[in-house]
Amino acid sequence: MEKIEDEKLELLSHLIRRAGFGATRRELEDYGKYSYEDVVETLVTPKETNWMGDYLVRRFDGEASGMINAPGSARRWIYRMMSSDTPLKEKMTLFWHGIFATGVPKVINGRVLSDQIEMFRDHGLGRFDDLLLRLAKDPAMIVWLDNQENHKNSINENWGRELLELFSMGVGNYSEDDIKECAKAFTGWTIGNTEYMMVRSKRDSDWPYGRIAYHFEYLPNDHDDQTKEFLGHLGNFNGEDIIKVICNRETTAKFIARHLYHFFVADEVPVPSWNEVAPRDEEAIDELVKAYFDTDHNIAGMLSYLFNSDFFKSKNARYKKVKGPAEFAVGLLKLSREFEIPDRDMIPRYRQIGWMGQELNNPPSVEGWHEGQEWVNTGSLIERINFASELLGNQKNAGIKELIDTVEEAITENSTPEQIVDECLTQLGFLKLSSNSKTAVADFANGVEENRAKISGVIRLIGSTREFQMA
Amino acid sequence: MTPLQKPHLDYHLTLGIVAMEGRGFEYPSDSFVAENDKIYVTNKSRDYGERGVRVTILDMDSEYFGTFGHYGVSEGQLISPAGITGDGNGNLYVTDDYANMISQFDLEGNFIQRWGTGGSNLGELNGPSGIAVGIDSYIYVSDTKNHRIQIFTLSGDIVSAIGSQGEEEGNFHLPWGVDVGSDGKVSVADWGNNRIQRFDSNGEHVETISAVGTSKSQLNHPSSIVVDSRGNRYIADWGNETVKVLNSSSELIQEMKGQAALSKWASAFLETNKEEGLSRENANLDNLSALEDTEDPHTVSAHIEKLFWSPVSVKLQKENLLLITESNRHRIQVYEIK
Repeated sequence: MEKIEDEKLELLSHLIRRAGFGATRRELEDYGKYSYEDVVETLVTPKETNWMGDYLVRRFDGEASGMINAPGSARRWIYRMMSSDTPLKEKMTLFWHGIFATGVPKVINGRVLSDQIEMFRDHGLGRFDDLLLRLAKDPAMIVWLDNQENHKNSINENWGRELLELFSMGVGNYSEDDIKECAKAFTGWTIGNTEYMMVRSKRDSDWPYGRIAYHFEYLPNDHDDQTKEFLGHLGNFNGEDIIKVICNRETTAKFIARHLYHFFVADEVPVPSWNEVAPRDEEAIDELVKAYFDTDHNIAGMLSYLFNSDFFKSKNARYKKVKGPAEFAVGLLKLSREFEIPDRDMIPRYRQIGWMGQELNNPPSVEGWHEGQEWVNTGSLIERINFASELLGNQKNAGIKELIDTVEEAITENSTPEQIVDECLTQLGFLKLSSNSKTAVADFANGVEENRAKISGVIRLIGSTREFQMA
Repeated sequence: MTPLQKPHLDYHLTLGIVAMEGRGFEYPSDSFVAENDKIYVTNKSRDYGERGVRVTILDMDSEYFGTFGHYGVSEGQLISPAGITGDGNGNLYVTDDYANMISQFDLEGNFIQRWGTGGSNLGELNGPSGIAVGIDSYIYVSDTKNHRIQIFTLSGDIVSAIGSQGEEEGNFHLPWGVDVGSDGKVSVADWGNNRIQRFDSNGEHVETISAVGTSKSQLNHPSSIVVDSRGNRYIADWGNETVKVLNSSSELIQEMKGQAALSKWASAFLETNKEEGLSRENANLDNLSALEDTEDPHTVSAHIEKLFWSPVSVKLQKENLLLITESNRHRIQVYEIK
């Protein structure tokens, strides 16, 4: 087999850390058989695969199938992320969940939350217009922002306001009148059996036979069909028309571009400050805005541009993003293969991700989580290191055993501690450590006699380094 | 030549209600009708929590007789009850797919003994689920994560095993339900291979059922099978959210999607909780047209309450009634066999 240049594998490692959840050397070498551009193309245009994981998790974790509550829904999602072979599709569910943050306690029905995540999975790489329209019809979002209470004769502005402020253009790009007109256009957009579903929701009722999923319903009699003026456009607008207007705005393109940059390239300041603080790389944002319009608002098109850009591929961009808790944990679960067949021990793993600061399906508010450096504080860092240590240190995990076997085969009795550390980093996916971190890990290796114990300890210690927290 | 018997099943009634403890079910995994006509239902609970794990006892009139086998690791306790059967002599046997044990109780729920050790050697267990007692008075256990059926004496001594991991005839992939017919034939829901496999009493493979009906539609991760004395097969086609009835030649006779109505316990709840009961009366819970975008049966069943949702077990009561336990709907739909 032709040897693949380390530089290419390091670049692919960077790509898969950002567009997925990381990859081992073996996985990277599989990607490396193709050009970088082809790998990007495969990531942004994922094919349907014959994936058994959903059946497995539904069988072996009943609540991940019936989803009475949010944790079951989240476990199903986590299992999918860790076992899927379409990593970017899964990464996009996290991306959109961070922006269109929806969850308990307002939406208590785990199945309904799961349906929203499925929608992100199916449409998160498509046209933004289509995604936004589906979001407007998404039952979890309707309940989360009270649009079932948005009536022709009594509007509720919640959805209209957040659609403009948090989901598309950002503060400062519309007026209070625009919010009202927007809300009017979405009157009559509700869920079926509203009264019964809301009574059950209020009572947190799963009687008599478990939760019933919600579906979208349009009530023409409850829709305001008067003329509306929205962002300078005049017409008898319905929700679809509003979304068209929004998606043609440059402010929307900028908003999405900055979110993509923030999530995939480098940490920006928290979203509420975006109105006051300029992007860290305005040129990159401009290029992404152009890609938005060049590809007819296609998210996959924007990502294809982003992953192929110099600002993404630059060595200066690597290890510059703090991994989010779910991203961090899923990467480790995938690497360790702790749950080749899911079981009840996924419950504590799900809880640990919450303790790290990201309880999926339960964002702190409609604004989602403040990401970047804010993911890490003293408490969450300890949780992250403990989590990594538990998974990386357990040789019963198939992925860890395989990793240790491979390193053991590659080293000799004359290998220095530094060489052992290097081999572990290579097998973990061409990871890089600062010289300080590397020296500390090598010092540990120097003090352990037995080879497997040494390798296992080195892998565990790598999991506790600063660099391992970064993507 | 005598034409094959063609049973027809009519909906009879629904049993159960979701409940975290006591009267009701929570993620039921299996049911068994004992010689005292009582129905024993194993419940895995929501998050395998301390409250919900139990075996619920009731009868066909929805009379409730209590629970046993609550959460715990001590004798008489269960962590994840996955299957239940009986020997017709006053004994019940419950598999625990987390503890890797089989516990024996009497019909009052009193603990008698238990056995089982985690592992993959002969006699050891890894995720035992389906369980049945054969006419040979042996216990057949679907040793799921070891991909085999293990056969034990009633006191827990290992006798033999059938199968190993794979896709070939006689192999299994995460088998689930197991049944032993009155002719001694062993039927296994070979879940991961999307098929039913049948074996004679010597463990020799005799039949595979994978595609059924004129359209030869593929079984999708079947969870359970029971065969009546005439050789008719009742299959819980879990991944398709249906129950299929086949005659002794494995021809498809009937396919059911579920038509649950309110159980006695459900009716009592809605009568007591009037706000919920009244708003339910005004709701249309059968609105299939709202789901035009999806053909995924799991999604459809999540929306339409009367349909089967996660049918995990099919069991017979005296060959007159078929009990279909639905994990996600926390109930049992009962069909009359004519």
